[in-house]
Amino acid sequence: MGLVPDEAKALPPPAIVNRNSVWLGFVGWSTAMLHNAFCHRPPLKSGVHRQVLFSTIGWFLGYHISKYENYIYSKLDRDMYQYISLHPDAFPRSEKKTLAEVTEPFHPIR
Amino acid sequence: MTLSNLLSRTVSKVGSRSMFTASKPDTVRPNWLRVGLSFGTAALLWGLLFKQHSTDVNEYKVRNGLE
Repeated sequence: MGLVPDEAKALPPPAIVNRNSVWLGFVGWSTAMLHNAFCHRPPLKSGVHRQVLFSTIGWFLGYHISKYENYIYSKLDRDMYQYISLHPDAFPRSEKKTLAEVTEPFHPIR
Repeated sequence: MTLSNLLSRTVSKVGSRSMFTASKPDTVRPNWLRVGLSFGTAALLWGLLFKQHSTDVNEYKVRNGLE
């Protein structure tokens, strides 16, 4: 697509049912229902073709938005890990201490 | 003479009737052309979506050496 460059095709594509699709499909459906309500028509039963079309458009847009989102976040992650690998002294690994070393000795007062 | 007076004089009386006001919305007889176009477009979009998804899956498999 025009949104994502060629390297994004190596990423796993989003599933048909994905977060953005579900949400935008719901938004499209509620747009159709709101339109029905404003025109004093029964919200669910009237204009089914409109409801189907709007939710389909939302679902379609959501799929491509998901793809773009995956690419953007992958790119950010890659750049971050590259920077970390190039500047190891800026990210020192702290030594892991056991709880026995950290806690004070226990003197019960009963 | 107010501006609205002047404007109403200059509007042509012959004019044209807007499609939106010429006919009231008919709730009894549906506009089957529009219904057909809506369902057709929706079916087209779903088909496009599934085709794009399968293309993407194949592309991913090819690029990662899974197929």
